[in-house]
Amino acid sequence: MVGEVSASPTITLHGITKRYGSVVACDDVDLMLHPGQIHGILGENGAGKSTLMKILIGLVQPDEGHLLLHGRPVSVHDPQTAADLGIGMVHQHLSLVDELTVWENVLLGDHRRFDRGIARRQVADTAARYGLAIDPDVRVGDLSAGLRQRVELIKCLRRDPKILILDEPTSVLTPAESEDLFSTLRAAVVTEGRAVALVSHKLAEILHATDVVTIMRQGKVVEHRPTTGATALDLATAMVGRRVSLRSSAAALGATDDLDAGHGEPDTPEGSGTDPAAARPVVLQIDHARVLRHGVAVIDDLCLTLHAGEILGVAGVEGNGQRELGDLLSSLVHLDGGTVTVNGVTAHPGRAGSMAGLGVAVIPEDRHDSGCVLSMTVAENLLLDRIGSVSTMGFVRRTELRQRALALMDEFDIKGAGPDATFASLSGGNQQRVVLARELSHHPAVLVAAQPTRGLDVGAIEYMSARLRAAAASGIGVLLISTELEEILDLSDRIVVLSRGRVIGELTRAEATAERMGLLLGGMAEHA
Amino acid sequence: MPDRSVRRMVSVVVLYVVCVLTALAVAAVLIAMTGGPWRRVLTALLDGSVRNPGRWGTTITEATPILIVALGVIVSSRAGLVNIGQEGQLAMGTAAATWVAVNHRGPVALLFMLAAGFVGGALWAGLAAVLRYWRKVPEVISTLLLVFVASQITGWLLSRSFLLQYLEKGVQNQVQTSKQLDPTTRVGSVRLLGNAVPWTALAAVALAVAVGVLISRTRWGFRLTVLGRNPRTAQRIGVPVMIAGSTALMLGGAMAGLAGASMLAAGASGYRFTAGFSNNVGWEGLLVALVARNRPWACIPVAFVFGMLRTGSGFLAATGVPRSIAEVVRALLVMAMLVPPALMTLFDQRRRPAVAAAGTLATVAAGG
Repeated sequence: MVGEVSASPTITLHGITKRYGSVVACDDVDLMLHPGQIHGILGENGAGKSTLMKILIGLVQPDEGHLLLHGRPVSVHDPQTAADLGIGMVHQHLSLVDELTVWENVLLGDHRRFDRGIARRQVADTAARYGLAIDPDVRVGDLSAGLRQRVELIKCLRRDPKILILDEPTSVLTPAESEDLFSTLRAAVVTEGRAVALVSHKLAEILHATDVVTIMRQGKVVEHRPTTGATALDLATAMVGRRVSLRSSAAALGATDDLDAGHGEPDTPEGSGTDPAAARPVVLQIDHARVLRHGVAVIDDLCLTLHAGEILGVAGVEGNGQRELGDLLSSLVHLDGGTVTVNGVTAHPGRAGSMAGLGVAVIPEDRHDSGCVLSMTVAENLLLDRIGSVSTMGFVRRTELRQRALALMDEFDIKGAGPDATFASLSGGNQQRVVLARELSHHPAVLVAAQPTRGLDVGAIEYMSARLRAAAASGIGVLLISTELEEILDLSDRIVVLSRGRVIGELTRAEATAERMGLLLGGMAEHA
Repeated sequence: MPDRSVRRMVSVVVLYVVCVLTALAVAAVLIAMTGGPWRRVLTALLDGSVRNPGRWGTTITEATPILIVALGVIVSSRAGLVNIGQEGQLAMGTAAATWVAVNHRGPVALLFMLAAGFVGGALWAGLAAVLRYWRKVPEVISTLLLVFVASQITGWLLSRSFLLQYLEKGVQNQVQTSKQLDPTTRVGSVRLLGNAVPWTALAAVALAVAVGVLISRTRWGFRLTVLGRNPRTAQRIGVPVMIAGSTALMLGGAMAGLAGASMLAAGASGYRFTAGFSNNVGWEGLLVALVARNRPWACIPVAFVFGMLRTGSGFLAATGVPRSIAEVVRALLVMAMLVPPALMTLFDQRRRPAVAAAGTLATVAAGG
């Protein structure tokens, strides 16, 4: 397919497999990087892109397969070996020291004896050669994200790597900065015959900047093709796959669940989905919300409406504002603009307990972070925020606390330990049930479930899904924030897609085709 | 399960015995090297602290402020705050107490004096709370550094006759000391089996019980515990982090200040506030809470043991052992007290992940 490239590949990865327990992160992956070519590697979260790159620079050792550098087998034990072999990587999360100047950062980790004057000149030369204008004497802490990335790139290029890996290089950049980065890559690196791997989930970037593209899904290479001639739609479909059609069978499975049947809510688009939802009252309304973190808008002009009795799926690739949306609805961050209303009442999200007070229940993304107290007992965790209801004159009635807890443990089938065991001694699935039981026991108006099934086994996932459906059936507005596309498609009545902290598209479940979801996840807003 | 707790109990006791014996052995070597009566270290310590007539009353008097300070430490650390500035909070509280009481007489003045100690210590710790929640200065640093500021301030207060300094007539070199408390504003004693025990000691024991109930049985204590163990969860469920945290930090300081005031009223430094009045009571209170592993009721015996070390080492010095060596002996024994809880904490931390993993395995096995 890529036969027009005459030069032999700089590096070949052959049959690479890497397993973590039962999870196969990379499954028999082949990849060839050619000199003078920008090779895009596209995939969702967990598709195996990062693991593959870690293998390439020696951070991870493959279980099977081998690497050929210029046709000769090599083994890359550690990043130092990779550097010696001419493999350089610009990491997604920049590894610069804020307190040091640009040239000091560039030289950091060098073994050779260095001379300040020579070093500064070298940095300036490298910068000039690639058109990466930068002052070598500026403190890195004072630079913008775009310029920091530039420093990282200079640091990498100064070692004259034959292979250059960029891992999600634009995740911290503005569109204009990304544009600059790619023209630099094209103009300088490619003409010098370096092989470049560009790891990304952004369709526009892949289309714009690469020569060939390898698309990965669930650890496997699903497609390998020249970028020319490819459309965003092709790439999106390949990235997301046929899971949309698989969804109906998954939903059918879920519908047989006893809980679901018990609540008599058939899980079909007619029953819980399209039309009636809009007629139901709005329980949560987010208008033009804006949240800044270190001066950067992590939630930017986000608008969202949640009705009673529906499950609204918030899809998106990790790091596009999901965590902050969860924090906002957990009273953990304050708004820097816009409004949040719950049942028509304006909320003050930064105030302790304000969202919970208005009836917003949350299953947090990381339950250990804001969903529990590990060293307190199961009973205490079950009534964490209702301790007043089992107190007289400020004194906690321990027996009643225990009884209430036992009732909840029975209702939510929490096993493995008694009410007096510490929360930490429970398994992950039971811990998640404790959180769920507590949050639902308040009869909330809104239930925010952030990555509710992450790290759970199959049985626990089914239980959680059934509970979420039952919650919606009982009239609670469920906001399902998830990076697992299957989960979103399986459970949601409506789907919105987050990108860079804002909603870039909204679909009903029927409209959620692989193509459209793929485009939105890839950061391309709908033009229709 | 009971098997494990019994084994744990035994290992704690063995650890204490080994540590104390080691400390005594090192102490004996030290005393022998300086030519003292090394065989009689233990005897002297026990005679001076409990065996001689009237001594255990003195020991209780010494232990009382240490216990009150330790209770304050527990309240602060329950909220996840590491307040280590009790020495300074105690000094500032005592300064406030002195200022209120020194020119008045009667039991009402005594009550006001105790209240002033409480408020003074709270305000001094409040500075650390302001720094913590306004400028994000870690309280472990600010409370510690404020100890030295407090020492300078109290020194200055005691060198100005219009503030706290008492000028004795006809004396050339004036010392930095306050006026003596009027006999009617002093704390009375209860006579028990030939020992004089100040009623503040009984109040302190009652306070220990009250703090124990407060933190483990009340809604306030529950929410404070949540804050201490997971501040983000606390914020989510509606514990106002800043207010609750500041309250806990200030209560810690208030207890230290109260301890200082009660110490003064019970006769420390001859019912006078002086430079160096706090005499390590703040630090030792901190250590008592550490040894008692933040359990209020456990502080009562531990504070008594620390009191014994004070009175016992004083007596040791009277048997011909140099004062400095007697102090070293006391420090050695304090260290011996601290090693077992530190080791147990380490041991618990090592074991915890293993327990969690075992729990997961058990559930997986049960599920499958």
